[in-house]
Amino acid sequence: MLKNKALIIIPAYNEEKTVGQVVRDIYSIISRVDVLVVSDGSTDATAKEAKAAGAFVIELPVNLGIGGAMQTGYRYAAEEEYEYAVQVDADGQHDPKDLPKLLAEAEKKDANLIIGSRYVTKTGYQSTYARRFGMIMLSRFVQMAVGYPVKDTTSGYRVADRRVIQLFRDYYPLDYPEVEVLVLLHRYHVKIKEISVEMRERQAGRSSITMLKSVYYMFKVTLAIGIEVLRIQTIRRDGSV
Amino acid sequence: MNVYILSVLFSVIFLLVVVELMRRRWLLEQYSLFWLVMGLVILVLSLFHGWLNQVAASLGIFYAPSLLFFVGFLFMLGITLHLTVVLSRLTVRTVRIVQEVAILRAELDKYKVEPEQSRSE
Repeated sequence: MLKNKALIIIPAYNEEKTVGQVVRDIYSIISRVDVLVVSDGSTDATAKEAKAAGAFVIELPVNLGIGGAMQTGYRYAAEEEYEYAVQVDADGQHDPKDLPKLLAEAEKKDANLIIGSRYVTKTGYQSTYARRFGMIMLSRFVQMAVGYPVKDTTSGYRVADRRVIQLFRDYYPLDYPEVEVLVLLHRYHVKIKEISVEMRERQAGRSSITMLKSVYYMFKVTLAIGIEVLRIQTIRRDGSV
Repeated sequence: MNVYILSVLFSVIFLLVVVELMRRRWLLEQYSLFWLVMGLVILVLSLFHGWLNQVAASLGIFYAPSLLFFVGFLFMLGITLHLTVVLSRLTVRTVRIVQEVAILRAELDKYKVEPEQSRSE
């Protein structure tokens, strides 16, 4: 079986309306990649739609949540020794047109993780004030923890190289992983770079973060960052990396 | 019936229940040991409540049985914390197994499909 250098990982939970189109869009823009859809215990036709569109599909027998599904992709990428793994959302929010740009940046090899960011330069992306405030707060927390600015901490449009794939294979947070892993990667001296991308309106479904959940989200993520920082200090005291 | 007799009765029944659970293998030895020790401690404390009274008095507790409840409360707190640690470990293991099974099954399907395709050619 012919294998490409990069694996696109699309975790999907009941996204039958959009997942097929997302896979077809990716193949129409870029052909030298393999597309993996991880169906996270979906009860609809997500897996069928993804297979019909030409993706390799891994079906989780139970719902693990976004972190568990994403890690499945990283485990597969590590096992099959892919050089790059790219996270793409199944809801159509991430524009496949940016894929060649993100991959080209990864191939320069001066960063281990490339983040497709909404805020590096002005893009058409709009969001509510509360949401923007929360994102700025998280951005500040992350900067305090890692010592350099990451503008779009919650973006799930990312390219990971071999080193990051291996780290994520061994540990990936179960829920709301995007922000937390930035601090985790910093602990392993992983280089992160942001590239400007366009984000579209989601084509179907709602954000997994509703009003009530956002309080839990902020609390959980802040706590996770704090604990990660404690881990950094433990490592320094030991004198090991 | 005073509180001491009640707690002797309770701890005896409790120990019997634990032993029965072990007999049916509903409770792993690693966890049952904990409960057996706890049951015995309560039993001894309620049988010889003179000790309890002395300790309570030295701690400035006027109603000795409340020391019993206090120790029991601390123990419950400890075991609940322990249980959530065990639960977290189980969660990580379950996730790992689900991922491995799903990957294996997807790769198995790959091999199931390919021979049929070559036959039709």
